[in-house]
Amino acid sequence: MHKNSSENPLVPQIVEVVKIIDETPDVKTFYVRDESGVPFNVMPGQLAMVSMLPIGEGMFSVSWQEEQDHLEFAIKSVGLMTSEIHRIEVGQKLGVRGPYGNGFPVEKCKGKDMLFIGGGIGLAPLRSFIKYCFKHREDYGKIQIIYGSRSYADLCFKEELFELWPREKDSETFVTIDKPEEGWEGNVGFVPAYLEQLNPDPANKIAVICGPPIMIKFVLQSLEKMGYQDEQIITTLEMRMKCGIGKCGRCNIGSEYICLDGPVFDLAQLRQLPPEW
Amino acid sequence: MKILKKNQLDTLWERLARNAELYLPTQKGDQSGFFSYKTLKPEKDTLMLDALNVYLSPKNIVLPQTEMMYSFTHQGQEINLEEVYEDPTPRIIFGLRSCDVKSIDRLDTVFFTRGFVDEYYRSRRENTLLILNACYHPGPNCFCEAMGLSPRESESADIILHDAGEEGYIWVANTEKGRELTGNIEDILEEKEISYPQPRPFTREVDYTGVAEKLKDMFSHPIWHPLSDPCINCGICTYVCPNCYCFDIQVKTRGEEGYRYRCWDSCMYGEYTMMAGGHNPRETGMERFRNRFLHKLEFFTERYGEPLCTGCGRCIAVCPTGINIIEIMEKAKGVEPSA
Ligand code: SF4
Ligand code: SF4
Ligand code: FES
Repeated sequence: MHKNSSENPLVPQIVEVVKIIDETPDVKTFYVRDESGVPFNVMPGQLAMVSMLPIGEGMFSVSWQEEQDHLEFAIKSVGLMTSEIHRIEVGQKLGVRGPYGNGFPVEKCKGKDMLFIGGGIGLAPLRSFIKYCFKHREDYGKIQIIYGSRSYADLCFKEELFELWPREKDSETFVTIDKPEEGWEGNVGFVPAYLEQLNPDPANKIAVICGPPIMIKFVLQSLEKMGYQDEQIITTLEMRMKCGIGKCGRCNIGSEYICLDGPVFDLAQLRQLPPEW
Repeated sequence: MKILKKNQLDTLWERLARNAELYLPTQKGDQSGFFSYKTLKPEKDTLMLDALNVYLSPKNIVLPQTEMMYSFTHQGQEINLEEVYEDPTPRIIFGLRSCDVKSIDRLDTVFFTRGFVDEYYRSRRENTLLILNACYHPGPNCFCEAMGLSPRESESADIILHDAGEEGYIWVANTEKGRELTGNIEDILEEKEISYPQPRPFTREVDYTGVAEKLKDMFSHPIWHPLSDPCINCGICTYVCPNCYCFDIQVKTRGEEGYRYRCWDSCMYGEYTMMAGGHNPRETGMERFRNRFLHKLEFFTERYGEPLCTGCGRCIAVCPTGINIIEIMEKAKGVEPSA
């Protein structure tokens, strides 16, 4: 699976940034590939370590693998390494290593109606699963997407949200922003409230949630109220990561390593872990 | 049986050091640990063959405190990987104790299993031979037996020495690698039947039975507050522990060249889990303390079937605030489980 000659999972492969999209004022999507295309194959929800070699590395969810052509990473500028990566231009070489983590249970969800609930940059991991469902449309039932951000400008993947996804068959995309804004005609309010208002029926459904911890917390409460069982709720966890291969120690919650055993867990699994998430 | 006379030790070391980097338990200045035979200065350094235990464990030989990973060059937008530094130098650790051999077993479990093999560790470990010095007189802080290992036996020690005093060491080749090495130095061993020394009892009474199970429901127990209260999160316990393996990955650059390296890290430090953007899931000293001891006594056992403590006693000896892992086990066993 690894193309790097040493087969050493901690050594990156060199890729080139071939396209950069400004998603929001602080999120950009980077398309990367090497001469032959993708450096490795990734399943939805899996992670990869991206390095600006002279500066640092960071673990990101791969927000899409476009066939054998390239990988897409949506990266929010929050710290030193991510603000540096926001300054690069097309043509820049980066290191990537991976794929890491379990990814979303795409097989287990087959035949189900899917409800994706995202906030802010949390749409980046969800996007890989959403696009996967649309690509394998016949394997999944109805697809609903509820997504919110602070403002219109802060919504990621606008073209997909407003043009591409709403056109997919048997699907609905609901978008909300925190505060009213001139020119915005959609819903205003936080994601959990919007979710309760839309009140999607739990029957034969899997809810996949990704967003800031506070949003996740309230969405979980809402889903519970609406009758969703723990096994029907899937989310991803975040911890600081260095190795990605379950060795360096830091990303544990209890006896589980988020980089290896996660980042995707269902709520029933999460309830078995110490309350550190 | 094969006997190594003590007056043959120098000859043995000299021979072993011809084809391998040899490490001996040594006092150098105010530090004791496993130091390279080549760097020993007889007039200044003292051999510590009988110490229980030398201050530094031998983990740095298989998992160096800092280790180069790979180098690269960069210019403008270009980046080139230059060299990957896996280090297959043959190494021999002479005179390590059962607790330290077992801790290397645990490192093997971590670095070799669960989907990924750590190639840096592998290249060192597969070329490292272990010569165990069996313990007959447990030290004041020793409790290896309580953690499920034998002070005088080990499956992964390549050679086991039993110190029979004036008669010398009984030399037992314990693995294929050990038999091969024995074949090469057989001429300095003697054939003689002598009796094994009489083991003395442990001075510490410790019982790990049931601790992991008990701790499983104690994550939110209030006892972690008083237990961790004295701890200043200095991290020295993780530094001396032969089982603590957490590492950080960092980069060093100068001009257009640079390399990535890894170095020991400690779960006792705030930065360890600090995420980009500032959120820290283990913000307080208590949370970090709790993670360390739960990792050793519960999480690791749950994941790999054995605890991440081999009873070497080092952390007890070095802690500036008197934190004692034995006491933690006792106290955990003594409390009512929290709701
Ligand atoms: S040596 Fe003692 S004070 Fe220092 S971090 Fe360990 S337990 Fe805490
Ligand atoms: S936790 Fe303490 S006693 Fe146990 S192996 Fe580590 S240093 Fe030794
Ligand atoms: S990032 Fe190293 S163990 Fe998970």
